[in-house]
Amino acid sequence: MKRTNKHSVLSNILLIIVLISVVFPFLWVLVSSFKNEADIINYPPKMFAGHYTLANYVDIWKTIPMTRYIINTMIYAVGVCVISITLDSFSGYALARMRFRGRTFFYYVVMVTMFIPFAITMIPLFMELSEFGMINTYPGLIIPHATTAFGIFMMRSFFVGLPEDLAEAARLDGLNEFQIYFRIMLPLAKPQLITLAIFSLMGSWNDLLYPMLMTTDQSMRTLAAGLALIGGQHITYYGPVMAGTIISMLPLFIIYMFAQKYFIQGSAMSGMKE
Amino acid sequence: MENTSRWSRIKTYWNQPKHVGYLFILPSLIALLIFAFIPVVIGLGMSFFDVNIFFNGTKFVGLQNFVHFFSDTRAVNSIWHTVYFTVLETPVQILVGVLCAAALARNTRFNRFCRSTFYIPVVCSLTAIGLVFNMLLDPNIGLFPHLLKEIGMTSPDFFGDAHWAMPTIAFLTVWKSFGVTMIIMLTAVQAISPSLYESAEMDGASRMQQFFHVTIPQCVPALGFCVLTNLTGSMQVFDQIFVTTGGGPNFKTESTVQYIYNRGFAAPYELGYASTVATVLFVIIAILAVGSNLYMTHKENQMR
Repeated sequence: MKRTNKHSVLSNILLIIVLISVVFPFLWVLVSSFKNEADIINYPPKMFAGHYTLANYVDIWKTIPMTRYIINTMIYAVGVCVISITLDSFSGYALARMRFRGRTFFYYVVMVTMFIPFAITMIPLFMELSEFGMINTYPGLIIPHATTAFGIFMMRSFFVGLPEDLAEAARLDGLNEFQIYFRIMLPLAKPQLITLAIFSLMGSWNDLLYPMLMTTDQSMRTLAAGLALIGGQHITYYGPVMAGTIISMLPLFIIYMFAQKYFIQGSAMSGMKE
Repeated sequence: MENTSRWSRIKTYWNQPKHVGYLFILPSLIALLIFAFIPVVIGLGMSFFDVNIFFNGTKFVGLQNFVHFFSDTRAVNSIWHTVYFTVLETPVQILVGVLCAAALARNTRFNRFCRSTFYIPVVCSLTAIGLVFNMLLDPNIGLFPHLLKEIGMTSPDFFGDAHWAMPTIAFLTVWKSFGVTMIIMLTAVQAISPSLYESAEMDGASRMQQFFHVTIPQCVPALGFCVLTNLTGSMQVFDQIFVTTGGGPNFKTESTVQYIYNRGFAAPYELGYASTVATVLFVIIAILAVGSNLYMTHKENQMR
């Protein structure tokens, strides 16, 4: 009994240390983004300042085209999300529930792409897009991410678990294969679709290198790329950069507050292998 | 009349799962072909060519790019920096993730709160986290250097000092992403069937023995997955270095992906040579992935 107590005290100490180190930087930056520049560069640094201001948020909008960046990021992230959950669930369903020749082969073909590092495809992707004239366009940002092996894998694992007679009954009722998919299967997969949608949104929203490569025009930049490019220039004005950082984190953070279990489920799913 | 019957024949044909299945997977397969398989082939192929971003004067140079690679200190060093980062980051992330998963295994309210909080950095971008740490670790106004001075230690310039920069980048990466490892390991621990523990108990196994003979072997596949994804991810580190040190000081933290970026997408815009560097990295990642996979399968079989 004594040993379990010691164990739980130790683990609680560990947890509290981790908890503080995770939460504190966020609080610090959040509070700092409302301080004026004098308080930010004041030494020694203090958590709270005498007064607070929205100046940093105004400044970041003046320094970089924030509205443009936010719109670009939304179009990119939502576009990828909608197209990829559509295609991934199509493929996942077919690979799980339809018997056609070469099904296993195609499944392996899909899974292999999960192990292709972006490092090797980044230059060819750029060349393909410039060949198609799609650099600095929304389709150029979106279409290469139209489908993901992870999404197909995830949808397939869900559909594999459904009972066979579900589709059989529908076929007897005279529904065709597309109707079966849209009216019966897809509604059942709602939680998986949400999980995949959230993962896709998170991936695109936070992506840096890919959108940075595929856009050279300032007006096509995404939020992450825009912030990285001003933040990396070692400017001395932390206030506006912190305000921009907070803005960039806010949407996903809000979604996380309300849809936590889908985020966790997505991570958990990625670790499951058959 | 002829038309309608042909139409209905087409409809019947495509309404059979064994035919319509191809229609369902076709869009994904086309996308993967164009944006995954063909790029790999182009990427490997381009490493034998002299190509620039303007596509003028393209010519086949055989192995010349690879010969150049080995005498290009910045390229070779970028590989070492990447390996150094991976060696620093992966074990620590796995360790922190596993420890947190172990500490959070029980379903108390406090534990659930910790789980959701530890996952918050995962939701944020590496860019944002990099910028946050830029400020917290700033040698002049940063909080952390100040705290170190308060307790009587001299604070290094975390991102400016060549010795500290890479460990600092590794630390912030662990801070950002240990939540993923934690969740995957938690899921693995909770998926262990209670009957395994019951039978171990009946065999007279102590708590310690149960941990080593039930918990660990059952979690090895998940652990293997974490190690594999972490290794391959770390070998492609870019975002956090780009926003914190930018590869400096003196290219001391320049990662391979960053070198590919600098070489191909900034002057001198040598896409061919950048592809050569990418090919070398690809081969290293492939060896690591296959190697760690084989090792893990071997371990799994050993434990059975």
